[in-house]
Amino acid sequence: MSDTNTPNDSYDGDQSSLTSRLAANPRPALRWAAVAAVLLVLEFGAFIGGTLTVLHALVLGVTGLIAAMLGLTISKGIETSINEVQASILSQIDSVRSTAEGIPTLLSRETIPNQGHRLGPDGPWAETFMGLEPRLAWLLRVTLIVVYAFVVAYWLFRGWDIFRIYYRQADWTPTDDIINRLRSHRWGVFGVLIILLFLTMALFGPALGPTTVEANIQSPYGHYVEYYSNETGQVENVTVGNANFNSKSKGAGTNVGPMSYDSFDRFHPFGTLTNGRDLFTFMMGGARTTITVVGIAIGMSAGIAAALGMISAFYSGTVDLGVLTVADGITSVPQLLLLIMVSAVFAGHWITNVLNGGFLLAILFGLTGWPGLWRAVRGPALQVAQEEWVDAAESFGQRPALIMWKHMFPYVVGYLLVYASMSAGGIIIAMSALSFLGNGLGVTAPTPAWGRAIDLGQNYVSTPSWHISLIPGLMIVALVTGANALGDGLRDAIDPETESGSGEQTAAGGGA
Amino acid sequence: MSNAIERKQTAASGETLVDVQDLKKYYGGNGFFAPPPVKAVDTVNFEIKRGETFGLVGESGSGKSTLGRTLVRLEQATDGSVSFDGTDITELSGSELKKWRSNAQMVFQDPESSLNDRMTVGEIIREPLDAHGWKTKSERRERVTELLSEVGLREEHYFRYPHQFSGGQRQRIGIARALALEPEFIVLDEPVSALDVSVQAKIITLLEDLQEEFDLTYLFIAHDLSVVRHICDRVAVMYLGKIMEIGDTEELYEDPQNPYTQALLSAIPRPDPTVTIDRITLPGTPPSPRDPPQGCQFSTRCPAKIRPEAYADVPDETWDAVEQLREVIRERSRMSLSATDQMRKRLGRFSRFDDIDETVEDLFEELSVPQAVQDHVQHAVELVKDGEPEEARTYLRDEFGGVCDTTRPDHHQVSASGRESYCHRHDAEYDDVTAVLSKYSDGA
Repeated sequence: MSDTNTPNDSYDGDQSSLTSRLAANPRPALRWAAVAAVLLVLEFGAFIGGTLTVLHALVLGVTGLIAAMLGLTISKGIETSINEVQASILSQIDSVRSTAEGIPTLLSRETIPNQGHRLGPDGPWAETFMGLEPRLAWLLRVTLIVVYAFVVAYWLFRGWDIFRIYYRQADWTPTDDIINRLRSHRWGVFGVLIILLFLTMALFGPALGPTTVEANIQSPYGHYVEYYSNETGQVENVTVGNANFNSKSKGAGTNVGPMSYDSFDRFHPFGTLTNGRDLFTFMMGGARTTITVVGIAIGMSAGIAAALGMISAFYSGTVDLGVLTVADGITSVPQLLLLIMVSAVFAGHWITNVLNGGFLLAILFGLTGWPGLWRAVRGPALQVAQEEWVDAAESFGQRPALIMWKHMFPYVVGYLLVYASMSAGGIIIAMSALSFLGNGLGVTAPTPAWGRAIDLGQNYVSTPSWHISLIPGLMIVALVTGANALGDGLRDAIDPETESGSGEQTAAGGGA
Repeated sequence: MSNAIERKQTAASGETLVDVQDLKKYYGGNGFFAPPPVKAVDTVNFEIKRGETFGLVGESGSGKSTLGRTLVRLEQATDGSVSFDGTDITELSGSELKKWRSNAQMVFQDPESSLNDRMTVGEIIREPLDAHGWKTKSERRERVTELLSEVGLREEHYFRYPHQFSGGQRQRIGIARALALEPEFIVLDEPVSALDVSVQAKIITLLEDLQEEFDLTYLFIAHDLSVVRHICDRVAVMYLGKIMEIGDTEELYEDPQNPYTQALLSAIPRPDPTVTIDRITLPGTPPSPRDPPQGCQFSTRCPAKIRPEAYADVPDETWDAVEQLREVIRERSRMSLSATDQMRKRLGRFSRFDDIDETVEDLFEELSVPQAVQDHVQHAVELVKDGEPEEARTYLRDEFGGVCDTTRPDHHQVSASGRESYCHRHDAEYDDVTAVLSKYSDGA
C-alpha cells in the first residue's frame, strides 16, 4: 500500500445511516425478508410458543429469586406481594402461549398426523397422513422439520451475508475472516450441524416425537389411543397409560425395539422405556430441558468469567489475587458433591419447580463453572491488557469499563466461546450423571432427562432391550462431541496459528 | 525532503510548558519482604518550553519510556512533581485528570500494537472525542475525516481496518488519534523506530508540519541519535534513570561534555570515510536498575572514571584489569545460591566460585601488579571463594573506589547556554573529560 494522499471527491461521507442505505438499494433486503417472512409464517406458532416457554421459565426464576432475597432480608410481606405479581404475569404468558400454540403450523402433528390405527389385521391405516403407515408419516414429518430448521439457519446466515455485501460500510472486517475460516473447517462445520440438530430437537421437540410428552409421559391416563385389536377384530379405545403398561421393554419376551410397532398400533422410533413410554418422545423432551439448563449455566459462567477475567487482567495485582482466591475456593469444592448437597437442602423448595428442578441445577452449574472459564480467559486478557492500544485508551481518559468492553473483550470472546462450548459437554455429562443417580437428584421425574433413561435401561443392556441405555448414551456422546468440534472449529477460526492442535490446546471440557 | 539538512528551528517562545522536578518512578519495593525497588527514573529535573521539541535519548532500559509515560500519567510518579502549565499533574485525579488528559497525548512506538485491530480507523480516531463527549456526533465524524486528511490519509479510509494498512499508514492513524482532542503536548515514544527508513522520513516531516500548524510541544523519545539531531531543539541523554547531559541539540552533538554522551555519539556511523573518530566502546552491560551503583550511575562502565589518589601510579592496563575484576564480582553477587550451595557454604565446603582464580589469572597474567593491589585482589578472591561475593564487592569498592564509586555527582553547568552534565570530572579539581578520553583512545 502506498503512503500517499489523493483526495477522493466521490466519497459521500459516512453520514448515511443503515435505514438510508437500505432505502437506497432495497431489493436484496426485500428479497431476503420475503423468504424470511414465509419461513416464519410456516412455523409462527411454534416460534412464539418456544420463546414464551423460555420467557415463562425466566420470569418464574428471576422473580422467584428476587422475592426470596427480599423476603429474607426485608419482610415476608414483600415476598408475598412479589409472588402475586409473578403469578399474574405468568398466567398472562400462559394464556398468550396457549393461543400461540393454537395457531396452526405447517409441520405440526395435526397437519401430518402419524397416530392412527389399522382397519384390519393387515389393513389400511386410518387417521394417519394420507393413510400412510405411521412409520412413514412420522419419517416424513421429521424429515420436513429438520430440513425446515436447516433452511432457517441457512437463511439467517444468508441475511448476514446480504448485509455484509450490500449494506455494511466496511468492505472487510476481521469477523469475515473468522467466518470464512470456520466455513472451510470441516470438523467445526460438523460441530455446527450437530448443535443445530440438537437445537432443532429442543425447539421443535413436541412436533418431532411420534406422540407428546403430555400425552405419553405426564398424564397418560387422561389420553386415549385407538387401535385395531387382533383379539376382538375391531378398533378399540384404550388409555395411553394402559397401552404403555402393555408395551414395556424389559428384556426378552416383553420388548418393543427401535423402529417397531407395539400391539396398540403405536410406532416407536427408538422403542419404548421399561415403563412402556416412548423413548423418542422422552429424548425430545429431555433435549429441551438439557439445552435450556446448559444454555443458562454456560451463559452465566461465561458472563461471570469474562467480567472477572477482564477485571483481573486490567487491574491485576491485589484484585487479580482476590479473584484467584475466590476461584480456587470454588474449584476446591467437589462439584458433584455440592450439587447433591444443594439438591437435598432445597428439596421441596419452590425453586425446584422452575424448569422441573433444572433452574436450580443451571444456577449451580453457572456459579461453580466460571473458575475454569475464568482461568482460560485470564491469560489472553492479560496479554491484551499489555497492548499499547489499551494504554492509548487510558491516555486519552477512556473509562475502564469501556476500555475492557471495546479494547479487551473482542479479543477474549473467542477464547470464551471455545472454552464455553467445550465445557458445555461437561455440564451435559454432569446433568446426566445426576439424573442417572436418581433419588431426587437432577431434573424431577417424570420430566424427561437423558441420564434417567440410561439409568432405567442399565439392567437390560445385554438383553433385547439394549436400546434403552444405548440410544440416550449415543446421543449424549454425539452432543458432547459436537460441542467440542464446534469449540475446535472456533479456535482454529479465531486463531489460525494454533491450527491442527498440538493437543495441549484442547484440554478443556471434562466431566463433572 | 528539502529540509533534511537544514533543521527547522521551531520558534520556542521561551515560556515553560512542562516543568519536571525531582521526578522519581520506582517499581516494586513496597512491602517488608519485597526486593529493593527498580529505579526506572531516579530524580530527574528538566523543563520543556512551549512549542519546542525536546529529545530524550538513551539505550533501552534507561528509563526514557517510563519518563515519557509518567508525563502523560500512564504511570503514577513515585515522588516529585510534573507541573503542566502551572498545575501539578501528579496530584490530579478523577474528572480533573480526565479533563487534563485531553491536553497531553501520546504516540506509541509500535504501530502494530497501538491500534485495536477490531475497530475501524474511523472508530479508533473518534474514540478520544467520544470519551470526552466532544460536540455532537456528526461534528465528531466531520472532525475525524478532517484529521484523516491532516495526517495524509483519505476520507474513505474511515471504514477500513488497521489490518489493511502499512506500518507508516498505521502510525499516521496513531498520530491522528493523538491529535483528535487538540492537545498542546504530545509524547512521541520512538514513533519511527519500527518503520522503514524511507517511511521514517515521511513521518518525521509530517510531525514537523503538524507541530508548525497546531503549535504543538513534543517530547521525542528515541534511541536513534541522528533522528533526534534532525528534529529536536533540546535533548537530554539518559542512563539508568538519570539524565547524564541536557542541553541544546546542536551544541551537545558538536561538543559533548559527559563521558557517556561522548561514548554514545562516537557510536554514530559517519558516512565520510576520511573522518577518523575514535569510537569509545563501553565495557560490560548496564547494571541492574534494581541495584544501581552507589556513586555515579555510569561509574561501572565509565571510560573517564576518576582513580583514587593512592593508586595514581598504577599502570593503566593493570587498573583496567582491576575494574574488570570488579565487574565480574558484581555479576557474581547477583547470582542467588541454591539450597545445597547454601548448605555447603555453612559447612565450609563451598567450591562453586573457585573458578574465580582462573579469571584473575586471565586478567592479571602478563601485567605488572604492585604488591598493594595484589594483596587486595587476593583478599577479595578469597571472599568470593568462600561464597561471599557481596562482601568482596564492598571490599574492593572501599579499597579501589574513587569519588565516582562513592558519591553521586552534581549537574554541572558546562556551557554558556545552560547545558548541564552529570559528572565529577567537571569539578575543578579533576582533569577534564575530553582530555582524559583522548588519552584513553590514544592508548587503545
